[in-house]
Amino acid sequence: MAIDYRQVKSFLFREARLMDESAYDEWLALWADDALYWIPANIDDPDPANHISTIYDNRAHLEARIRRLRSGLAHAQAPKSRMRRVVSNIEIEEAAGGEIVTHSNFVLGEFRRGEQDVFIGRTIHKLRSDGAGGFRIFYKKVILLNNDGSIDNLTFLV
Amino acid sequence: MGDRKIDYDALVKSDRVHSSVYTDPAIFEDELDKIFHRGWVYVGHANEIPNRGDFRLKRIGKYPVIMVRGDDGDVRLLLNRCRHRGATVCQTEAGNAPVFRCAYHGWTYRNNGALAGVTYPDGYGDSLHKEDLGLTRVPRMGNYRGFIFGSVSPAGITLEDHLGKVTEQIDLFVDLSPEGEIEVRSGSSKSHYFGNWKLQIENTIDGYHPNFSHETFFEIMRQRTGAKVDVFYGNSLGETRDMGGGHVMLDYRRYNRQFASQTHSTPLRMRVQGATGTMPSTGVLDYRRAIEERNGPERAAEILNAGGTHTLVFPNMALLGVQIRVVYPIAPDKTEVVLYPTTLKGGSAKLNATRLRAHEDFYGPAGFGQPDDGELFARVQQGVQADLDPWLLFTRGLHREHRDADGTLVGQMTDEVPQRGIWSHWKKVMSQDAADSANAREDRVARAARGR
Repeated sequence: MAIDYRQVKSFLFREARLMDESAYDEWLALWADDALYWIPANIDDPDPANHISTIYDNRAHLEARIRRLRSGLAHAQAPKSRMRRVVSNIEIEEAAGGEIVTHSNFVLGEFRRGEQDVFIGRTIHKLRSDGAGGFRIFYKKVILLNNDGSIDNLTFLV
Repeated sequence: MGDRKIDYDALVKSDRVHSSVYTDPAIFEDELDKIFHRGWVYVGHANEIPNRGDFRLKRIGKYPVIMVRGDDGDVRLLLNRCRHRGATVCQTEAGNAPVFRCAYHGWTYRNNGALAGVTYPDGYGDSLHKEDLGLTRVPRMGNYRGFIFGSVSPAGITLEDHLGKVTEQIDLFVDLSPEGEIEVRSGSSKSHYFGNWKLQIENTIDGYHPNFSHETFFEIMRQRTGAKVDVFYGNSLGETRDMGGGHVMLDYRRYNRQFASQTHSTPLRMRVQGATGTMPSTGVLDYRRAIEERNGPERAAEILNAGGTHTLVFPNMALLGVQIRVVYPIAPDKTEVVLYPTTLKGGSAKLNATRLRAHEDFYGPAGFGQPDDGELFARVQQGVQADLDPWLLFTRGLHREHRDADGTLVGQMTDEVPQRGIWSHWKKVMSQDAADSANAREDRVARAARGR
């Protein structure tokens, strides 16, 4: 099956918009049941079995993350971050079994409590068809440019 | 320090402190001088640099420091400053190197600090005494079970006297390892917040805030593990303890004893694996057996009941959960916090991976707990600008604290015994005469000049 590039890109752009708008439930609905959501700490490609990560969520952890954010008691998102991001430099590959791997860069502006922060990174998505013309994310790794720097708040969606 | 003499007696009372201790830039500079550039501070762990030539960049107050294991196997703390024109000689956060070379004019230093070579040496005639120009050693260094402490002051109390009773808690943290050693090689979670550094150390040993600041975390923990955590309730059997010297702790022992007969109790699981770790009970049984074999039944029972610890080692280090926490004051209203999750030497791969995953749940900038603390510190920093009623209250539990047989001061889990302990010690250190401080600095310079 040939990849429809426009469809893949439009999926990534939609995901970015849902993150920008902290649309927690709609964003969670993009994920497969066997999800792995990974933001390594310190280095880009550590072995998570013996190196700490900033986020290393399976589906249950991801659901807990969203429940927490929705509770109104996640103080680091009270008030919520205002965000807009640009996703670009998208490269798309087809992997075995009809799976799709994308590499993309992002620049994210985040504004909260009177301060604007900029986050930059590279994201690897692994997608599979949801059988209804769309995709599900079953793997997402975010390589932050400043993964070895100190960060005050990363409780919004990246 | 400037000319202004700060009256610390007027700012820190036995049950309250004045807003300015969190906001005044002059007090911040005075803290760097008296606490971080004179006293003992935690620098790093020897296990971060296991091999000869291994180094890691560290900081003591404002001083950039190289913690390095020389070719002779000894750990040293060297100032990261070329003796020629002052540039830092090491730029890489961690690595292995036989020499450090200053890029400015090419001077090189061996990994024991000795000056190895100067470029175009003829240009100095015979005025250059290489043996006097090694990288400056941090004047005093001490090692307690791999925890490396340094003091920029050549004189002062010994590390043993500085640590006092808190070594018992360090032991309990380390002895959770089946081989009696922790490993500090799993990276670090680095955060900062826009608040004073003391907000973090006060909060690290605060048994009053978790049920409010971290309500969401306890709910997630209950859903994940089935465990309801009531240790932070107002009627908990858990205690707070002031060990003197600014070293304070949350003491879970009385609370945990309720579960001592359970082989797979929630408190045991929390201490060994972190709050949300889930490990099959066979793994826990194997682990218990290893601890008992190494330590004998009596000490093993103590380790399994009390181990893990939740302790502040004044001024800048804490042990809690699976982590070593290090606090770096950056500005009156900015602080960096670096958390090193530890693994247990001799622990199974599964156990150690579980510790890392549990750490991630609460800690780091995307964790379910730490960012909320940082947010609250920023709110305090904002709030204390309004200093019409300038006092922050630390009165909780004053009426019921008591002196234990071992001399430590004890309160209920939610009492502010630890905060009072930190503040009374802080006042003592900060009230040292500024002249003493200046003398110490002159003494330091004089000794350095003499000693080389």
